[in-house]
Amino acid sequence: MSANAGSLADLQRAFQAFMLAGDTGFATKVRSGGRASREIGLAVYRDGYALRLIEALEIDYPGLMAMAGPADFELMARAFIAAHPSRHPSVRWFGRHLAAFLAATPPFSATPAAAEMARFEWALGEAFDAADTIPIDADALMSLASDSWPGLMLDPVPSFRRLTLAYAIPQAWAVREQAPPGELGVDPADRPTPWAIWRADETSTYRSLAPDEAALLDALAAGGTFLDMVGAVAPHTGEDEAPARTATTLRLFVEDGMIARFRLSD
Amino acid sequence: MPTMLLPDDRFGLGLRTDHYEEIADGGARVGWFEALSENYMVEDGGPLRWLDRLRRDTPMALHGVSISIGSVDPLDGRYLDDLARLVDRVEPMWVSDHLCFTALDGVQMHDLLPLPYTEEALNHLVPRIQTVQDRLKRRLVLENVSSYIAYDASEMTEWHFLAELAQRADCELLLDVNNVHVSAFNHGWNPLDFLAAIPTDRVRQFHLAGHSHNGTHIVDTHDHPVADEVWTLYRAAVERFGPVPTMIERDARIPPYEELLAELEIARRLASEETPA
Ligand SMILES: [Fe+2]
Repeated sequence: MSANAGSLADLQRAFQAFMLAGDTGFATKVRSGGRASREIGLAVYRDGYALRLIEALEIDYPGLMAMAGPADFELMARAFIAAHPSRHPSVRWFGRHLAAFLAATPPFSATPAAAEMARFEWALGEAFDAADTIPIDADALMSLASDSWPGLMLDPVPSFRRLTLAYAIPQAWAVREQAPPGELGVDPADRPTPWAIWRADETSTYRSLAPDEAALLDALAAGGTFLDMVGAVAPHTGEDEAPARTATTLRLFVEDGMIARFRLSD
Repeated sequence: MPTMLLPDDRFGLGLRTDHYEEIADGGARVGWFEALSENYMVEDGGPLRWLDRLRRDTPMALHGVSISIGSVDPLDGRYLDDLARLVDRVEPMWVSDHLCFTALDGVQMHDLLPLPYTEEALNHLVPRIQTVQDRLKRRLVLENVSSYIAYDASEMTEWHFLAELAQRADCELLLDVNNVHVSAFNHGWNPLDFLAAIPTDRVRQFHLAGHSHNGTHIVDTHDHPVADEVWTLYRAAVERFGPVPTMIERDARIPPYEELLAELEIARRLASEETPA
């Protein structure tokens, strides 16, 4: 028995060092002589720690699992766990830095499609978890007086995310359950492709964007007015076509449930 | 402290997403639900929409896993704010978490790690529990965890520690009957000694759950039906503590709702045999 001051903190630090890094000092603070041996008891904690976090990643990243297969996925997960201990009380946030980790850390960085898959899957999860809202419908927009249009500003729904992907990630993700584990192939896209991800009703959805649509959405999401959006679209369509094209595209986004509300700048 | 509400029917189940639709369509058919606090400490969205909807018809208790009451880290103010907001929304019958630590130096272990049973740990816990109770304006209910190791530093048994803590902090206890059984097996003590030492007026709720028996040791996995030995211990708990609200926890390999209702019937039957009307 020991009762020196601060021993609670020492004990907790030793336990944590054991769980995170296998530090052996903790074993000397643990009693032997129960029915389950000291080694077995310690292993329950150490194994459970890794398994819980690996499982959290498996839930968030089924596409990565389909690409890597269980063995490589586990290696990747263990490397991530070692580099990024969990810092949020809810384990659902644990995987949020995985894409950045894969992009920056050899050997995973040698497969850039893996980091892109992680980015895409995390964005899908964020879209799913984002706050509810009722999107506006096209009638609301079309009933606006024409002299209001230049100052029109729109807010995307809270679930809206914008990605640009160099690989055909969403196409591969859509067939992730058809491929045997570890054999999901991901092809490079013809060119880097902008994508929108959002949630309409209960499920997350996504679609690719033409270059002028992406330019419009980026101006919209940055808080720009209709005139700013026209300015962003013009390089792709020419000055004359830009206002009509902007209005048509906006209507499409509204009908797809991507817009939460509109305002008029003064 | 406000008086606790009690459900008319004291048998409940853990609320799990797998069963939302079934409950909405067929009704709860239990007296109350235990909702996992962290699942609903989120932005407005699907989870809270379901919670509000199911709460309209059925009383609930809130059960957390990450208040980390025994950690030497300061209490997480943001976590407490989020929890207090959820408490205002749900108006639970009571709020529980575990007697353990789950985080240290801001790093979350996502596990219920046991505390040493020492005077130092008691002195550490009492003011922290009181802070939480003041913040939530109600008694905190703390659950005994399953453990797989014991500390050299411990100066008393787990049951003496729990009894002493409940008295000193004026908190209540959630007696997890399966956890008593699991820890008793792993450490080689008698689970009836545990029950006999816990003050009868402090037990707010019972947990029942399944475990995985690995021969040399038992792990608290919540992925099986309640084991026979745990039902036997439950009878002894009802005999000692009386008609305490009881629920079954299932967190993995979650069966159809009907199956859990049937398992809960066993609890009803055993309890009525121990406490005749
Ligand atoms: Fe429990």
